[in-house]
Amino acid sequence: MVAVSDRLVTECNGSGMTTNGGHRPVFCTIVPPHVLDRLSQAGDPLVHGPARRTLRRDAYERTQRRLTTVVGAPALTTRAAAAEPGTPQRTVYDAGHGTDLPGEKARGEGEEPGQDATVNRAYAGLGATFELFLKEFGRDSIDGSGLPLDATVHYDQDYNNAFWNGEQMVFGDGDGEIFLDFTVAVDVIGHELAHGVTQYTANLDYFGQSGALNESVSDVFGALIKQYTLGQTAEEADWLIGAGLLAPRVTGVALRSMKEPGTAYDDDVLGKDPQPATMDDYVRTGRDNGGVHINSGIPNHAFYLAATTLGGHAWERAGQIWYDVLTGGELDQDAQFTDFATLTLKAARARYGEGAELNAVTKAWERVGVRTL
Amino acid sequence: MRIQVRRTGGFAGIERQAEVDTSGRADASEWHALAERALAAGRTTPPAGVPDGFSYTITVDGRTVHCADPELTEEQRALIRRVLKEGA
Repeated sequence: MVAVSDRLVTECNGSGMTTNGGHRPVFCTIVPPHVLDRLSQAGDPLVHGPARRTLRRDAYERTQRRLTTVVGAPALTTRAAAAEPGTPQRTVYDAGHGTDLPGEKARGEGEEPGQDATVNRAYAGLGATFELFLKEFGRDSIDGSGLPLDATVHYDQDYNNAFWNGEQMVFGDGDGEIFLDFTVAVDVIGHELAHGVTQYTANLDYFGQSGALNESVSDVFGALIKQYTLGQTAEEADWLIGAGLLAPRVTGVALRSMKEPGTAYDDDVLGKDPQPATMDDYVRTGRDNGGVHINSGIPNHAFYLAATTLGGHAWERAGQIWYDVLTGGELDQDAQFTDFATLTLKAARARYGEGAELNAVTKAWERVGVRTL
Repeated sequence: MRIQVRRTGGFAGIERQAEVDTSGRADASEWHALAERALAAGRTTPPAGVPDGFSYTITVDGRTVHCADPELTEEQRALIRRVLKEGA
């Protein structure tokens, strides 16, 4: 079984482009269905995971092919269950403290809230994120084409994390000792969904500076979703990521601060927030994919500076400029801070001319020590 | 047998590591079996992982393998959980 699982992972766990321009894991389709059926029954997730995903995808694609033949539907549609354009199609699943994804369906689009506050928070957070992208940036869901939004809550036991697996969001409940339920912070929900937007647009490599930009974009849009939900201006916002997520015994206010990177926590168990605010304190490390959650403090702070200099609602001008860069088609997958910064100047000029916006963005990058070309 | 686990990445980007020395432990054979199965399914180079996912290195008596959420085997998940919980 070891040999089989090794080979399955080696051959199938790559990544590639989807038909609609997105980027998601690729799993083998050359394995005969009866073998996939058997593998999907295996106890080992390394074996059954890829097999089950392949079976699901195969079934979906067969259905699409049939639809195309029968009713002439476009083959590349992602609006599988036919939501109206401009309306979200949310599904929240419950992993029941296990690790099989997506888990049992807990709440679908339009269904009344149930007893589980975690499910309801995830559902509301998906809705808030969908609304910001649609109303402020004219984007219909994370792929721009109404992609259904799926989230799984209650993942694993005492699980101190939330992540985006390329297809959906996953939230742990926290262990109660250090972290609480990851759905308590709407910016965390927005952060994970923004990883989806990045995946379908600039698809920044998740390593080094491009990885830190990927992380920063998620923090920026996560913060904007929180501010949008609360109706806050840049001055009113706390610019914290993950406020309310730390258990009461932890000395800290959040996981990251865009206003003052490096000050979110300082705790006996957790240590001190390692984020730099400027290039002077840039951290060179191979860990954490080359410090993607550390050096994201630098572009995070640049966004904060630009947004507070401009004032008002941060999503209206600073957010628009960042969104234009992310989706404009010029940002390379392996972009460095300088590349991103340079494109924000270009985007500011293109949308607002030689005015306050260009000035604010230029000064922001200067202050964090990122060169623009 | 010395079993070390290091967890990096994750939404918070906070690193954790812990170690269990099984010598003299009543449940040593259980640890050994779990560690061997976790090692056998690991990789010699770190997998790409997913955004905000945890990455793990498991080192057993100097042999190191890598794995990452969410594609862990049950044995890897169990070993990682026990070492981070019970280890020092």
